Amino acid sequence: MTTTAIDRLRTCIANIDAMPTIPVILRPLLHCLDQPAEEIDVDRIVELISQDKSIIAQCIRMANSALFMRSKPAETIRAAVMSLGMWRVRDLLFSNTLSKVIPHDRWVVDPEVFWRHSLAVAMVSRKFAEMIDYPDPEKAYLAGLLHDIGTVVNCMVVPDEFRAAMEKGSREHIPLDEAEQAVMGFTHCDSGRILADAWKIPADIGDALELHHRIGDPERGGTLVALVNLSDLLCRMRDLGYGYVEYRQVDFANEPGWMYLLIKYPAMAQIDLARFTFALDEYAKEVSDLVASVFSS
Amino acid sequence: MSNETTLVKDEAAAPENLSDPAWFRIRDLIYQVSGIYQTENKFYLLVGRANRRMKVVGARSPREYLEFLTARPNRDAEMRNLLNEITIGETCLFRSMPQIDALRKVVIPSMAEAKKKISYTKLRFWSAGCSTGEEAYTLAMMLLEETQTTLKGWTFDVIATDLNDRSLAKAQEGVYNDYAVRNVPPEYMRKYFTKSGSEYRVADSVRSHITFSRLNMKDDSKMLFMRGLDVIFCCNVLIYFDAKSKTRTIQHFYNALMPNGYFYLGQSESLYGISDKFHLVHFPGTTAYWKPAEGALKVGTP
Repeated sequence: MTTTAIDRLRTCIANIDAMPTIPVILRPLLHCLDQPAEEIDVDRIVELISQDKSIIAQCIRMANSALFMRSKPAETIRAAVMSLGMWRVRDLLFSNTLSKVIPHDRWVVDPEVFWRHSLAVAMVSRKFAEMIDYPDPEKAYLAGLLHDIGTVVNCMVVPDEFRAAMEKGSREHIPLDEAEQAVMGFTHCDSGRILADAWKIPADIGDALELHHRIGDPERGGTLVALVNLSDLLCRMRDLGYGYVEYRQVDFANEPGWMYLLIKYPAMAQIDLARFTFALDEYAKEVSDLVASVFSS
Repeated sequence: MSNETTLVKDEAAAPENLSDPAWFRIRDLIYQVSGIYQTENKFYLLVGRANRRMKVVGARSPREYLEFLTARPNRDAEMRNLLNEITIGETCLFRSMPQIDALRKVVIPSMAEAKKKISYTKLRFWSAGCSTGEEAYTLAMMLLEETQTTLKGWTFDVIATDLNDRSLAKAQEGVYNDYAVRNVPPEYMRKYFTKSGSEYRVADSVRSHITFSRLNMKDDSKMLFMRGLDVIFCCNVLIYFDAKSKTRTIQHFYNALMPNGYFYLGQSESLYGISDKFHLVHFPGTTAYWKPAEGALKVGTP
């Protein structure tokens, strides 16, 4: 990105009073989940959920859906949380709170498509992290979930230009960041970085937001950037992208992120990417259901 | 779940339970043996088809059927029967649009560019295990369309081989019913088919590009003669081969391909553990195996 473009972006952001603000619930939630699964405090999660009626309703509805096949309906928040499991509750909470980051009429992209992509990348990043024995799969999940949050800034700050970039991307079947760079002179990665700093998001997750399209030197971003970069690519190749098709060939073995992980994690060499890709179509259904449940309320 | 299972006293009448862990083990077994992966959202297909076999052999539960596939003396034959059920009715023209789109939008343009540089304007495709010809005709039609645009002035051949004489005869006939042409885009339908009665006959302009011949893929001496191919399709054929002949056949395919050539398997088939010479490459909604040019960067595992 050129200095003039980033200056322009910063000026735009400074001049706008509607910069997306971090949802109230998100910070305690981030804090709460930034620890090993067995140390997560269920009561604290229940307490957080209790602050938002629509989230309560969604948790209970989902816990009582056919998917979970309870013998008795869950009536309390706690029962619903226990039935869904911590990670699914977290999925619901994140998608719900983040989907409200900007007013509905300010979206330039279809918010359902956007969250479907974000959630899919989150799930794939976590799965990927688990497969290679990366010690913190939940962090990978979070980085995946937030990786494109810069597009939200673009919706707020430069809606017309961003719409033009989206149109260019879908017309020419090229990656969104390329279209943004051509139209706006900066990308959602740059806006993501600025938002990450404003929201005081952990530094390594901020790097994933900034570098997931320009992995260039993987050493700089490390594992998290590589995981998000590859998961993002994979989702975009499996109909879990920005809502349009990118006609190109992706050779994962020659992706810098793949090569970096291969050197760093021995388990990488054992990954059956074909099978992983097929299994992704299974996530697609789960992700769509989850996102639909967030947007139906 | 518990409500339903307690209602059923007689196991023989147990309802198809898609979440029975035995199905997952059967799925994994199929993958291990054949490289075909059944995703969970298509389990109803696997279960439906396995149920037919279960009735034939008299297995009363998926778990018992798993035993038929693993522990009984005729387990190999039963696996074959199951694979037959799973792949049945899979052939039709234009079966996989993502594969066709990947060829038209990515593979052919890049091949055309590379070949133009050496003034070689010909492409050769091979439909290996062509069965009744649907894939070969699909490829020929797609390539004919491309000669109007990207491949203007180019020539191409489609070689179609199969072991089964009856299938080959049917393939050469090139006459299909409603069901086989259900995915054919309307403009292709108009251009390349003539209707007679309830059937559709492939136009001669398409046929003239295809050579049908009998070939046993396990016959090394014959396979050695297959050379200079740009793209090979071999869908749902290798699943019936044991690991050793699979590895050998894949090596033949690899040798038959030009550098930068592509090898396509069925939509849910994988080469994992069979060959690491090819690169697994992704296109929108589909994958293929790519033979990198000599001296190209060769790293990673996929």
